[in-house]
Amino acid sequence: MASTALAAVPQTDAPAIQVEDLSKRFGSGPTAVDALRAANMTVYPGEVVGLIGPSGSGKTTLLKCLGAVIEPTAGRITLGGELVYDGAWRMRDLRELRRDRIGFIFQAPYLIPFLDATDNVALLPMLAGQPNPAARARAGEILEALDVAHRGHARVSELSGGEQQRVSIARALANKPPIILADEPTAPLDSVRALTVVRILNRLAREYRTAIIVVTHDEKIIPTFRRIYHIRDGRTVEEAGEGRPIE
Amino acid sequence: MVRLPNVRWKRALWIAAGVAVLAAAGGLAFWRGPLAPVVVTVTKISQASLEPQVFGIGTVEARRAYSVGPTQAARVLKVLVDHGDRVKAGQLLAELDPVDLRDRLTSAELGMSRAEESVRVVEAQVREAQSRNQIAVANAARYRDLAQKNFVSTEAAEGRQNEANVTQAGLEAAQAAVQAAQHDVARSARERDAVSKQLANLRLLSPVDGIVVSRSVEPGTTVVAGQAVVRLIDPASLWVQARIDQARASGLALGQPAEIVLRSRQSSPIPGRVARIELESDAVTEERIVAVAFAEPMKEISVGELAEVTIRLPKLPETLTVPTAAVKQVDDRLGVWQRNGGAASFRPIKVGIQTLDGRTQVFDGLAAGDEVIVHSTAQLAEGTPVRVRR
Amino acid sequence: MINLAARDIAHGVGRYVATGFGLGLLIGVTLTMTGVYRGMVDDAQVLLRATGADVWVVQQHTLGPFAEPSSLHDDAYRSIRGLPGVVDTGNVAYLTMQVSHGGRPVRVMIAGYEPGRPGEPGYLTAGRPITRSHYEAIADEQTGFAIGDRVRIRRNDYTVVGLTRRMVTFGGDPMLFIPLKDAQQVQFLKDNEAIRNERDRLAANPSVNRPGVPGLLETVQDLQTSNRSVNAVLVRVAPGWDPQAVAENVKRWKHLQAFSAADMQELLVGTVISRAAKQIGLFLLILAFVSGAIVAFIVYTMTMAKLKEIAVLKLIGTRNRTIAGMILQEALGLGVIGFVVGKIAATLWGPVFPRYVLLLNEDTARAFVITLVVCVVASVIGIRAALRVDPGEAIGG
Repeated sequence: MASTALAAVPQTDAPAIQVEDLSKRFGSGPTAVDALRAANMTVYPGEVVGLIGPSGSGKTTLLKCLGAVIEPTAGRITLGGELVYDGAWRMRDLRELRRDRIGFIFQAPYLIPFLDATDNVALLPMLAGQPNPAARARAGEILEALDVAHRGHARVSELSGGEQQRVSIARALANKPPIILADEPTAPLDSVRALTVVRILNRLAREYRTAIIVVTHDEKIIPTFRRIYHIRDGRTVEEAGEGRPIE
Repeated sequence: MVRLPNVRWKRALWIAAGVAVLAAAGGLAFWRGPLAPVVVTVTKISQASLEPQVFGIGTVEARRAYSVGPTQAARVLKVLVDHGDRVKAGQLLAELDPVDLRDRLTSAELGMSRAEESVRVVEAQVREAQSRNQIAVANAARYRDLAQKNFVSTEAAEGRQNEANVTQAGLEAAQAAVQAAQHDVARSARERDAVSKQLANLRLLSPVDGIVVSRSVEPGTTVVAGQAVVRLIDPASLWVQARIDQARASGLALGQPAEIVLRSRQSSPIPGRVARIELESDAVTEERIVAVAFAEPMKEISVGELAEVTIRLPKLPETLTVPTAAVKQVDDRLGVWQRNGGAASFRPIKVGIQTLDGRTQVFDGLAAGDEVIVHSTAQLAEGTPVRVRR
Repeated sequence: MINLAARDIAHGVGRYVATGFGLGLLIGVTLTMTGVYRGMVDDAQVLLRATGADVWVVQQHTLGPFAEPSSLHDDAYRSIRGLPGVVDTGNVAYLTMQVSHGGRPVRVMIAGYEPGRPGEPGYLTAGRPITRSHYEAIADEQTGFAIGDRVRIRRNDYTVVGLTRRMVTFGGDPMLFIPLKDAQQVQFLKDNEAIRNERDRLAANPSVNRPGVPGLLETVQDLQTSNRSVNAVLVRVAPGWDPQAVAENVKRWKHLQAFSAADMQELLVGTVISRAAKQIGLFLLILAFVSGAIVAFIVYTMTMAKLKEIAVLKLIGTRNRTIAGMILQEALGLGVIGFVVGKIAATLWGPVFPRYVLLLNEDTARAFVITLVVCVVASVIGIRAALRVDPGEAIGG
């Protein structure tokens, strides 16, 4: 792929993700742990933002709160202009939220082993209620876009590591979510593959205006982010990144 | 595993496999389970000529058997024959101890001699009386004459007459004594005969030609009247006393041929014929007793051996027959089961005799060529589904 | 929406079917045990039905002739024969013993009967009925005898002339039908040693062995070796008459005990079979528990192996009930496969069993429902585990 200079993303749209003073306390009394202390984060559509911090800093907790997997203790979360949390969940069905509005990319592909590549991806539209042929067609499109359509009928065990990664990314995209949360997506990869993943993410952000948060401590890709949030002891600090173009 | 390109094919295959398995289960339930029809065999009935036979078991016995023994208590002196000996009529078999009988015989004979001698004595007395009487009578006549002529007194004549009367009486008395003595002789003779008959009785003679089957007593034993010392049989009179169930005893007649199977020779039947049908049956065991004689006298004699007899009744003319296995009783009627469509249906019939090899005569209810159910794998009821065994 | 359960099963179909197969054998055993019980009850029914008796007359105050010993005089039938409603009577004698066939001993129940009377086997599968008054026999197929075989019972050889089927006692011994008089003799006659012993004892007894009364000893010896007893009198009732009423009549006037065929069956099922029924019932309960435990274990294991996938599924938005449904369907699938395999296995190996195995459709249907219920209950553990999975485990794992 030719190197592309990442175009600056205009920050004129409403933020796709808005986190304000988010706190999360585990446990109670003297043994309580404050994983998040008034964390703040804003991500606009089309942005790929890095979330960097040491282990135990709360980055996983923040991701889980954004993914509506755990309930924060205090603060506000607004997704796509819609209030999701302000002291209590404001959305009826968090699962629907996860299904339709958020795409997850994990450290490992975590594909469902008893479904083939296409069905792994098509699962999400099916869960959203789409009829199977339409869902599979959509899956085929995304797989095509990621250059793995030819492996559509392969079982998960037959896919190479890179192919699995791409299929898992395709899955995250299957419902065209406005938000993607990526948790250390490049951790097991070498630098070439890692940059490929970042390239894909950037392309997706650009093409589909998806807001992407990438949790990472991978030195290879950190320089590619234009904006970075550092998180330490549950507090966030925004910082401008290098924004290095991807070779 | 071969991957099929189209998921639909796989699914179709799985469904087909599932259906096949379910079909197998269902099929098994139908063919083997309680829903399955009862398997039967059938046969067409036809005319046949039946040879009815009657079967019974019994023992070999001698028609003429004799227990030879004394008519009074005695001790056995000699037994001259033993088990298995052939004897002739009149042959001496055994002798019993006469004890005092011989002495009594001698005494009786002596008594007779004495009686005979008494007769002679008395006869002499008669002669004596006779001569005296003659004289007295002559004297009486003479004196009567003389008295008439008055040569002697009337008393003297009457005296002589009286003498004559006395001698006459004496003569009659002597004559009577002769009779008595003669009777005495006769009586002694009878006594002597009696004792010698008793002696003869202690000699046991064989009543017939025969074989000794048992020597029951040894010399020295005391036996009572009526106790057998030797038992014999007439070997030509051996026959089998067979017991026939009363229910099956109709049609038996004297002279019918029979086969006898002895227990010791079960593979070689012996020919015989019905010799006697007892007029009295055994009411307790409900059997008729039929004696079947051997056609030829037995070479080996074994009285008491168990035997089976099969009597052949006259052959019946051609008649409709059905296997006995097909005849069943339902409620109070006899009949056969037939196939009606695929179900069993009962048809009452009237039957006649039944042969030993399992055929029954049909009088009424079926026609030649009709099909009847013979064997079945379960009890049949009206409407039970049936299927003929291949 | 695709069926996750179907996909999961297809992914490991060999192992799944093999598990179902194993479960199926267990279920097959369960079905067979039920079949054995039903078979025993049916044995009783078949035997009672096939002897053609509507009323069983036995010794007074006994539950004979099977539940208890019963002994009647063999002319008792004469007074029964004349009762109203009685079409026919037949004396029977029963005795369990070993007979000799081809040199090997076979355990059978000897059934003495009068040909043509109640007590005769109701149907033959081959051959002909007994026509001679002695030394012929009809054998149940389970004895292994064939037509023409010679069987030695005590002193005599009997020829098998007919075969029948399903004539077995409740202990599983096949029956051998012989003429009544032979059975009476078999029941009573001792071996030669014993007979000689008895004769000697009598001969040594001076009040019996009197020289002045010839023939007395032989008569007494004869009495000793004759048997005038039977175990029961079977009565066939005229159509339209109530067997119960006839039985009551017999009981009242003849100082005998009488059971209608229905009473007899209840008696047998209630007393003779009841203990076996309890044993089988307990066994079935244990098997059901074991099967349930196995299904629970397998489903739980399958679920535990999928925890990560379940977390991911939950995270990406799969409903709880979809996941629970997947587990439930897999459990039910195991049950269905197991049941089908079990039913086929039971039907195939049933005839090979030494006892009669009767698989009734209602039992099969009931077993199917119970299997499904057991599978549903057993899947609860797996479902609970699945529902407790935290979707967050997929993140930061």
